[in-house]
Formats: sequence, C-alpha cells, structure tokens
Amino acid sequence: MASMLEFRTPGFNPYAVKYSPYYDSRLAVAASANYGIVGNGRLFCLGLSAAGIQIEKTFDTNDALYDLAWSEINENQLVVACGDGSLKLFDLAVDQFPVMNFHEHKRETFSVAWNPITKDAFISSSWDGTVKIWSPARTASLKTLPIGCCTYSTAFSPTNPHIISAVSSDSHLRIFDLRTPVSAKYHLATVIPVHAPPAGPTLPRLADGQTFAGAMPAEILTHDWNKYNDTVIATGGVDRVIRTFDIRNPQGGPLALLVGHDYAVRRVAWSPHASDILISASYDMTVRVWTDGSTMAPPPSPIVNNNNTMIRTGAQLGLMNRHTEFATGVDWCLFGLGGWVASVGWDERVLLWDAHSLLRR
Amino acid sequence: MGALDRLSALGNQLSGATSSAGGRAKILEKNADDIVVTACLRTAITKGGKGQFKDTYAADLMAGALRGIIERSGINPALVEDICVGTVLAPGGGATEMRAATLVAGFPESVSVRTLNRQCSSGLQACVDVANQIGAGMIEIGIGAGVESMSTQYGPGAVSEFSDLLESHPEAANCKVPMGVLTEAMARDRNISRASQDAFAAASFQKAVKAQAAGLFRDEIMPLKVKFEDPKTGETKEIVVDRDDGIRDGVTAESLGKIRAAFAKDGSVHAGNASQVSDGAAAVLLMKRSTAERLGQTIIGKYVAASIVGVKPLLMGIGPWKAIPKVFELTGLTKDDVDVFEINEAFASQCLWCANELGIPQEKINPKGGAIAFGHPLGCTGARQVSTLLYELKRTGKQVGVTSMCVGTGMGMAAVWVAE
Repeated sequence: MASMLEFRTPGFNPYAVKYSPYYDSRLAVAASANYGIVGNGRLFCLGLSAAGIQIEKTFDTNDALYDLAWSEINENQLVVACGDGSLKLFDLAVDQFPVMNFHEHKRETFSVAWNPITKDAFISSSWDGTVKIWSPARTASLKTLPIGCCTYSTAFSPTNPHIISAVSSDSHLRIFDLRTPVSAKYHLATVIPVHAPPAGPTLPRLADGQTFAGAMPAEILTHDWNKYNDTVIATGGVDRVIRTFDIRNPQGGPLALLVGHDYAVRRVAWSPHASDILISASYDMTVRVWTDGSTMAPPPSPIVNNNNTMIRTGAQLGLMNRHTEFATGVDWCLFGLGGWVASVGWDERVLLWDAHSLLRR
Repeated sequence: MGALDRLSALGNQLSGATSSAGGRAKILEKNADDIVVTACLRTAITKGGKGQFKDTYAADLMAGALRGIIERSGINPALVEDICVGTVLAPGGGATEMRAATLVAGFPESVSVRTLNRQCSSGLQACVDVANQIGAGMIEIGIGAGVESMSTQYGPGAVSEFSDLLESHPEAANCKVPMGVLTEAMARDRNISRASQDAFAAASFQKAVKAQAAGLFRDEIMPLKVKFEDPKTGETKEIVVDRDDGIRDGVTAESLGKIRAAFAKDGSVHAGNASQVSDGAAAVLLMKRSTAERLGQTIIGKYVAASIVGVKPLLMGIGPWKAIPKVFELTGLTKDDVDVFEINEAFASQCLWCANELGIPQEKINPKGGAIAFGHPLGCTGARQVSTLLYELKRTGKQVGVTSMCVGTGMGMAAVWVAE
C-alpha cells in the first residue's frame, strides 16, 4: 500500500465515487453536508495530475447527494441523485447550475445508473418505492417501475440495454425486462428472494459441510452486475454478507457467500478486469477485495449425498482500512493496469489506490 | 426529506433492524420526537335546538371539555403553551369567547388561544396544526380542540352574500350551493340508491345503540353540568349531561325508508340518513413523546400524519376518497394496514360512496356509529373522532386508525393515528 492518492472534501461527507468512462484521469464524488441527514450536497469533479488530485469543478445542490453516474454519450456530463427526490444533470462546461433537472420521485433518490449499451437513457431508484427510466433530453420520465418499498440501488445489465435490476429494503432483487409486455407486472421478469432458503427437496450445503438454510430478511443496500458473466449479480446490505446470484435460477439460492464485513455493506462493484473479483465498501470502515471463488477448483466433497448442491464460499483477498469513518463508495478505474480503485468515506476523504497492493502474495 | 427519517434509516442499517421498510411497521415505531396524545375527550353530543345543551353556549361547552383535559391528564395547565379551537359558526370566529373559555377552564393567562375554521374538518385541523407546531419546535405542549353550538349559532347568517364577481365564476358560485341539494345531485349522479343509504344509516344507529348500551362511550365522554330550560314547564334546572341524546333505538332500513326525501320529490337524502344538527365539544392534549415521558403523562396514542385535498365544490362529499389515499402516500400505508376508519357521516350517501370506492370493508368503518346516529357539531367533529377512534382501538387491542371527513365547498381531510 505504498502509493495512495488522497483528496479531502471538507464539510461534505461523500456517498459515492465514479470514474469517468472517458478519461483515466477524471472522477467525480457525490457528497453531502452533515452525513446526508440534513443540509446541502456538493458534487466534486476531480482531475488527476502530476500535482495530485485537483478540483476541476464543483456544483452545489440544496439537498444531500447520494449517488452519481457519468453520461455515456457526453464526456462532460454527469447526473446526480438528490435527497429532495430530483436528479440533476450537470455539464462541466456550464457553471453552477444543472443543465437539466428531473424531479418526479417523491422521496430521496438513492441511486442512478446510465445505460452502458444504447447510452440514451438512465435510471434512478428512490425511497418512494419506484425505479424511473429517463431520457437525458426530457424532463418527464419515460417509464416508472413499481417496487413498493425503499429501493436503494438500481442498475442496467452491462450486456443487454433492456434489462434493469433493483434491490430494495424488502430483501428482494428484482429483474425487469423491458421487452416483455407491460401487463400487470410492469415488465417484472424475475424476483429473487435474497435471504430465502433455496427451493427444492434438499437444502444445499456450504463448503464446510453445513447445510444452508437461508437467513433473516434484511435490507439490501447495493448490487452490481458481473462484467463478464451476464447472468451473475452480487448483492450486499444490512446483514453484512455479500451474495452472488445467477438470475436464471431465481429460486436456487446464492451461488456464493462472501462473509467478513462487520457492519452493513454499502457498495459492491465487480472488477472490469477479471470475472471473479469484486470490491466492497462497508459501514465497518473497510474496503475489501474478494474473489467469488468461481475460478478456483471446488474443494473435495466431504459429503456423499450428491443431491445437495454446493454454495461456494468466496475468499477475501485483501482489506483496506485507511478510512476512519463509514466507507460508502468504491469504483474501479476502467483504464491502466487493472487494479486502480477509488474509495470514499464519511471521513471526508477520497482515496485512490491500487488493489493489487492488497493482494496476498 | 425528513432528517429524522434519514437518521432512523441509517440507524436501522447499522443495527440490522428491518423496520425502516416503511408502512405499518414504520409508524408503529416509538421515537422520542413522536407527537403523542396523552388525553382526549369530548362532551356528550346532543340534539340541536332541543337537546340537553340547547341552552349552553359554545364557549361553556369548550370550557368544560378543556377542564376535563386538565383533570384527566393531571397536567399543570401552565405548561400548555397554545390551544387551537376549531369552530365554524361562531361570529368573529369565536376568538374572544374561546380565549375567555380557556381562562374559565383553569388555564393561566400565559396560555395562548386561537380559533380556526376549515368547516367540518376544523377540529381535526386544530389538532394537526398544534401537532405541527410541536413538531416544528414552536411549542412543546398544546391542545387541539373543536366546538359547535348549533342550537345557538346555526342559521341563515352562516354565509354572507356572494358578490357579483363570485357569482360570475361558475365554479366559485357552486361553493354556496346548499349541502343537501348538492348531495342529492351527487347521490343521483353516482347511483347511490336510497335503499343502500338507508341501510348504511340504520347500521350507524344500530351500532351506536349497541355501543351506548355497552358503555363504550363512557371513556371518551366528559360529563358536564349545565342549565337546561324545560320546554314544557319553562322551568330552568341544572342537569348533568353525560350521554348522546340523538341515538335512537329501533331504527331500521325499513323505518328510514318511510321518511320523505328532503331536497327533491324523487330524492334519496332525508333527515334519517344525514348527519344530525348537534351541540358538542372535544379536545386533544398533544406533546412530544419525550415530553410526555418526562412529565409522567400516560400516552394514549400518537399522531402520524394528515392530508388535505380539494375536490369540486359540487362533489364535496367525495373528499375522503381523495384525502385518504393521499395520507396513505405520505405514510406508506395501504388500506389493509388500517384497523379502524372513522369517516364522518355527513351524509350516508357520500360516506358509503367513499368507502365503496376505496374498498374499505363495512366492519372497519365507524364501529360505534357516526354522525347520523349521534350528530355532527361542525367544528367539534374532527377532534371528537380522535377520542372515539383511540378508545375504540385500545378497547379492541388494535393499533392503526384513520380519521377523515368531507369538507363543505369541496375539500377532504384525513389523518393517521396509532393507539398505544
């Protein structure tokens, strides 16, 4: 952990960080005064230079900021999720005010994601229990998908522009397919009960031979699509365990469990460089790098019963403990040697570091 | 948007509690800054013009109810900072006599008083305003109340002449169409049959008779000693009024079916399936939970949220149909989360229509009867519903209730309460 770049956001507690999809030297941080409980928000656009991390631009908002997404069609634009329920599109060439304001959510907007394939839409999720689909050119939403309870995170499939996922406080991961007819289910294609035991005559077992019987329902705060395997999603939340699921088998229970965080998992992000690597930020103030075990040889079977499927136990590859408050955001840099990550926490710090330096050798 | 909601959501993310999911679980949480009710009561409600309160002024009714609040809660009256009284018909808004009434009731001059008028929802609006004052930190303890003496103040002077300007605007002119006439038209337009109205009204009477016989109103009624002039002998005597005198036994849909319609020859609305003209007062003592605990006050329930909406003046009866979903939206509740609805029975037709449109089962609405059976003293009703609701929830071991009413000139109001 030799080289680590640091930037401070005095008076503002970051909630999310995202690298630009266009430049390896540009990133943005969504931050909020007073831990996002009451007060203003500030969006920091940061540039990397020989002199370290420097501010390219900041934008202030009247309410807290909880998430951001870079535009995929305009390298100077990005959209933020605001505590007053709005989404605001900022342009680095336009000072001070957003170029577009999208205000339909009735409560805090908690997440926003840009369509990475068609690049012509973005989605948002909110405490008001809805996911909304937006065009950056229109102030009214294109579509509203009902969830029914506080929805902390929503995302597009990285390979299919019609597929949207969302996780919410009711312990469910929902997959919407916009190609299906609206019908009564509003495009809802799959519902995965994240904490329920798998359906089937026998319960699966864990690598240590114990049977796996599910867990108490808990709020899910974050999720991400695997960038290489387009049916795998990782979830994280209040119960501190990261789980991966195959969306083709919604009743089948998790593929893998990643256990280690001491408090709720606030953000997970799959590596853009390797199919089995993901990173997580948690209220336990740590950022951890994991493998989901999919590229490792399965351990020798200790039990004869072949009906039992097995749930993998992933392995923690490294732990970054330099944050001194809740770690809330983490993102991988798409460029370079494939290990650079940015992490943010309520300690008012943005840290840029190489995940390779954490790996056990 | 609420800082406290955000804080409690974060707290639950850390503690692993699942309750921040919203809806019913959320409103059943007990937090230090909840606005709670530590006393609520009403006077008996008596028939306008001939009931036992016919010679009692509104201010005297209010003074009695406020004295009851002090007695029941045992609170030091000097700790109450503001009192808001909803009253509709009083000339000058009743401001002067209500200030005087609080002094009579035993509050020191340091306690401020105001009146307000949002027609039939005045009593609820008074409670909500006081709750909001407490929530905003303006005051710590307050009383929301309502009163109406329709015996002494009901009459043609209630609405002043409309100007040419108001008359020139069609929707504005509709605001002065009499309740009975517009309700008759609405019942016809919305196909609410005479038979269904009479059945609903008869059920209200029957529920109220049963509740009165079982003593279910005893908890909420504060007995009042008043002067009463006997209309036969002309003799004035002191009587104690402790029961609603508008409740009639033996009312059935068939007996109501014989009454002639009041507003149209072939109409369906009549005195038996509309609310009674009545006198009465009610009051609700509100404070933060932290304050109640500090003062050792017994918490009866909590105020959760309220909604106010406008509808077409000629369709004022549909107010609850629009206000109740709005308060559900504010609280994340659904109709299934609510155990008891107290929806004011201004007219059987509008109450029935709202309940049917919202899909509320009959057994959840006004379990002790409503304004058709015991009366609708305009300003009082909103505050009266609070004690009717909270004591019913407590008695039946249920928790979540909604009070709602339509409001003349085309509005609706609703509030969510939790019994503890």
